[in-house]
Amino acid sequence: MPTRMYRSFQGLLLMGLFVFFASKAVNGQLTWYINSRFIPLILFGTLFLAILAQTIFSEIKRLRKHNKELDHTPEHDHSHASPANLWFMLIPLLIGILIPARPLNSTAFETKGLNTSAPMVSSDTSSLIFETESEKRNILDWLKLFNYEDDVTQFIGQKASVIGFVYFDKSLGPDQFYVSRFVVSCCAADGFAIAIPAHWPDAASLKKDSWVIVKGTISSVEIDGNRMPLITAATVEPVDVPDQPYLFP
Amino acid sequence: MATERLPRRFIIPILLSVLILVAASMFPGGFFTWLWDRLNIFATVFLGIFVEAIPYLLLGTFASGLVEEFMDRDWMSRWVSGRPAAAAISGAFMGMIFPVCECGVVPLTRRLFHKGLPLSAGISFLLAAPVLNPIVIISTAAAFGWGGMLFWRVGLSLLIAIVTGIIFSVESDIGKILKPVISLPSEHDHSHDSIRKTFMEKVRGALLITVDEFFDMGRYLIMGSVLAAGLQTFVSQSILLTLGSGPVFSVLIMLLLAVLLSICSTVDAFVALGFVGTFSFGSVLSFLVFGPMVDIKSVLMYLQVFKKKSVFYIVAIPFMISLLSSLLLNYLSL
Repeated sequence: MPTRMYRSFQGLLLMGLFVFFASKAVNGQLTWYINSRFIPLILFGTLFLAILAQTIFSEIKRLRKHNKELDHTPEHDHSHASPANLWFMLIPLLIGILIPARPLNSTAFETKGLNTSAPMVSSDTSSLIFETESEKRNILDWLKLFNYEDDVTQFIGQKASVIGFVYFDKSLGPDQFYVSRFVVSCCAADGFAIAIPAHWPDAASLKKDSWVIVKGTISSVEIDGNRMPLITAATVEPVDVPDQPYLFP
Repeated sequence: MATERLPRRFIIPILLSVLILVAASMFPGGFFTWLWDRLNIFATVFLGIFVEAIPYLLLGTFASGLVEEFMDRDWMSRWVSGRPAAAAISGAFMGMIFPVCECGVVPLTRRLFHKGLPLSAGISFLLAAPVLNPIVIISTAAAFGWGGMLFWRVGLSLLIAIVTGIIFSVESDIGKILKPVISLPSEHDHSHDSIRKTFMEKVRGALLITVDEFFDMGRYLIMGSVLAAGLQTFVSQSILLTLGSGPVFSVLIMLLLAVLLSICSTVDAFVALGFVGTFSFGSVLSFLVFGPMVDIKSVLMYLQVFKKKSVFYIVAIPFMISLLSSLLLNYLSL
């Protein structure tokens, strides 16, 4: 492939990647893929992509001028790597454009599994969870408290208000459902699904994977031999997908 | 590509798509929603790995570009000893100067070979740098604290890298290890060969190399991420985890997971933290040591630089050592 054409494709693909990353950053969808702590890094990468695209475009301009001035044989073949390298960069762009973006949902439970205990993350934050108001604790906080505290009776009767998506499971009764979230340490590839059971007479009216805010009181149950918190819901209301669909440990 | 051959090229794809459509119509209706749901998960996981890896790949290829433009050809041979053991040790510590993860380290190593880095130093750099660099050490410390896990991770990675480096030094002909460099991207501007380049020209040259290597290596990053995301979408990890009990199996499962998940070494410590409760110290350690050296995407990249037989050794030696030492730790029940 002639150098200038090769460079043009490179430039276009870099532009495409830049636009893709930048649009994900602008509409806040980066946290559908990665832990929010890496956003500065991604923004830096996005900027760098723009710089690279700019470099390529000015290089194309330079090549054109160069060819004119020296009356070069215009398009001599460079020992460039095969154009196949370029087409591969289309794959992420096509996947990003053709398949509608969606955060991980309960479909992933089949391969990733669902956990009703907290992942082992630096447990020294549990004292902080104690201090947060019970209604501000999220699913992960509640599971941590029930995992790490010996005496859970102190939490029983506390008010809870958690956001998550709905999931039904055989281990639960007909008027119960799981409020679930994914915990993501790095990127969606390591998503760890957690859930708290909730009791609500109208549970059957809920749609699987729909996002809800569940308000109620905490009690303790044992399901399959594991102790976990259960929310007896006073209200269950639909909500939009949160800006950050995953919890970050 | 003669025009009369064009129709024939289309026959097989057309037949195949008809066949797929016919086969698809025989599936129950739920199959497509099932597949579509899976495709969504696949896209999210794939883009997760891809988005996360891109900045690191850019850093690595940019480092490679800077090395090409700003480092003399024999700089490396002046600084790195010719003796295999000494070269392997200095190679293993070079990660402290070049903070790259396993995506960035491959193009950089290739470039350093090009600049005259001895083979044993290059191999140990390749294996050690993704762990022995400031970013990874800090992120491991953030996850596990400045304690045993960090010490063992760094120590074992060093050991593996140096041993593998020394083993490779047995082969004196570098051409038998590396693929011939036909198209190592470099910015050749014929008119400037004799004239000293200005600083800005060097930066421009480095950026152009960055682009070429970004596409060159990005291809393998993408293939690796597609594979890893596909496996994650269709192979149940929860079954893997329930299988993973016992001192031997748990190590094997963690090694397998390290390869399958293909997470960047700069962040894998946080992921490993999630396994601490279920898995023994030795097993989690094997994940942290082996993962940065070998995973789907890095093996694909290795194949681009090294001959197949060399890649086999680059994978097998770290595998054996991390397996054995983790088993030992498990039996000593540390």
